[in-house]
Amino acid sequence: MDFTLTEQQEFFKKVIVDTVDKMVAPKAQEIDEKDEFPWELWKEFTSLGYLGLRYPEEIGGMNADKIMCMTFYEEIARGSVGFAQSVIMNILMGTYFIYRFGSDSIKERCLYPAMRGEKIATMCFTEDQSGSDLGATRTTAVKDGNGWRINGTKMWITNGPICDFCTVLATTDPSKGLKGLDFFLVEKGTPGFSSGQILNKLGCRGTVTGELVFDNVWVPEENLLGEELGKGVNYVGDILDEVRLMTGAMALGIAKGAYNEGLEFARKRVAFGQPIGNYQLIREKFADMDTLMNAARLMIYYGAWMLENGMDSRLIAAEAKMFATEVCLKVVDEVTRIYGANAFAYEYTPQRYFRDARFLLYGGGTHEVLKDFIGRSIIGKL
Amino acid sequence: MNILVFIKQVADTEARILIKGDNRSLEIENKYNLNFFDEFAVEEAIRLKGKVKDSKISVCTYGGKKAVEALRTAIAMGVDQAYLIDNTDLDTDDPLITAKILAGFAKKEGFDLILCGRQAIDDENGNIGAMVAELLKIPHVTAITKLEVADDKKIIVESDIEGGKETKEVQLPALLTTQKGINEPRVPLITGVMKAMKANIPVVDPASLGLSRELLSRDASKIKILSYETPKGRPAVKMIEGETPEEKVKKLIKLLREEAKVL
Repeated sequence: MDFTLTEQQEFFKKVIVDTVDKMVAPKAQEIDEKDEFPWELWKEFTSLGYLGLRYPEEIGGMNADKIMCMTFYEEIARGSVGFAQSVIMNILMGTYFIYRFGSDSIKERCLYPAMRGEKIATMCFTEDQSGSDLGATRTTAVKDGNGWRINGTKMWITNGPICDFCTVLATTDPSKGLKGLDFFLVEKGTPGFSSGQILNKLGCRGTVTGELVFDNVWVPEENLLGEELGKGVNYVGDILDEVRLMTGAMALGIAKGAYNEGLEFARKRVAFGQPIGNYQLIREKFADMDTLMNAARLMIYYGAWMLENGMDSRLIAAEAKMFATEVCLKVVDEVTRIYGANAFAYEYTPQRYFRDARFLLYGGGTHEVLKDFIGRSIIGKL
Repeated sequence: MNILVFIKQVADTEARILIKGDNRSLEIENKYNLNFFDEFAVEEAIRLKGKVKDSKISVCTYGGKKAVEALRTAIAMGVDQAYLIDNTDLDTDDPLITAKILAGFAKKEGFDLILCGRQAIDDENGNIGAMVAELLKIPHVTAITKLEVADDKKIIVESDIEGGKETKEVQLPALLTTQKGINEPRVPLITGVMKAMKANIPVVDPASLGLSRELLSRDASKIKILSYETPKGRPAVKMIEGETPEEKVKKLIKLLREEAKVL
């Protein structure tokens, strides 16, 4: 077994750490306070080319391996999770389906500009009555001439209100449940497509999250993304492990950001005549946090390595997402305790990590759903 | 123009540094960066390349295997070629030896202009640039804040002096050291990062630079570090309480007289 990063992976990590430290982290507090999409930072950061992270070099991507992708997700979330969410949406979920199934013209119109940051992408699964339960999707797509007519409302859509295009999950045959789901590309400006309520969130502020409304939206046949009708849920399965590992990596990033702040504080803050880092109870917190974060990182890297090597990563991806997020929740909590009452003030950072961490509980599957999946997979059908 | 940039990889300013038990060596947390002042040199070289046709930038460091990371950073920013002069067998404390090795490399490689940071932020010696220039018998200007090409044989540089600026004309070949303010170093583009990741970085043996065997021997160093010690911790800050500024000032004067005994 070899746990070392290659020299290239180490170098990439160093570059992304430096870039995030220089460009993203200093703006995190302001992004959170304003809760507005940071357009200036978006332009500055995306001009560096990171949005093509996981796509081939021939189309302007970087062809990064999955370990490098996880490093990227972790580090950008460490800088600002509010910003990271928007970036990662363009890198992964927002462009995955058009990269895989889009025609040349769709790629020209949507994928390449999204890789350059000129267009903002999103993917819409969730509705007000369904999240992890995709079978309950109520948005419909009905065949109409040379295309499809889409009706429904999507909720909790990252980048939704500012997106230039979206990949929307709809049922083409409600009688078939999970086997009647398909993906469609809908572009901004299409009649009937609009954005509704923008959510005022506890954390991940700066990411514009909200409702997208599809009112009799007609799209041409070309916009049906998939090789075969009714295979939408299979395609979700193809990307799910990566999404879960990515969510775990983001959790680790938030944890690391909070941990670093806690460490600095514990070394400097003096109580009863000495730095609080000298007290055993504070040391214990760091021992626990470091142990947990290392375990989470190993799980994420292991999952990424399996994914990279084409192995079945379904269990490890679910476990890693769940574990890393729980570790994150534990770490942000401990850091607020190390900070004492200062953690309760908006002018200090621990409260931001504390709020941000909560969001990762839901993205990529709630832990209740994940535990059920993991347990069911282990025990099998009895 | 053939531009050569000398860089150094240094411990991050936030890296934890501990003095080892022998008091003569350091244990440094694994956080290293391209030296702050060298980043300006790399950036200035890249900008110069953009202005002067057919320019080529080579970057070089005298360091350990880990220093490849700093070289790759320079390539990611836009440098054409990087070289590592391996110091594994000769990690010297004497800057003159480092300067002789770098000068040896410059002679072998050839150059029109050499750029490097005004000083490394770890040892703060600030003498490598001047020594290399002297060894190569070329003019040098320290801590420049502006660089302009006059013609293919001359450049104009600006540096800060007490209360103003000084502008100088320098004949090429020359060596210049860069000061903060000369430019804003770029954040590498992903295309640069990819190029840097794939770049082949030749390792140069100091023995191949035409230097005498005595110079490269372990006892050639005329400077030896005897010991390190950490600065004494500062006493806690005393906050001066008081209803009015006048009252606070009175208390301050009293403390400066009676406790600090500086008045």
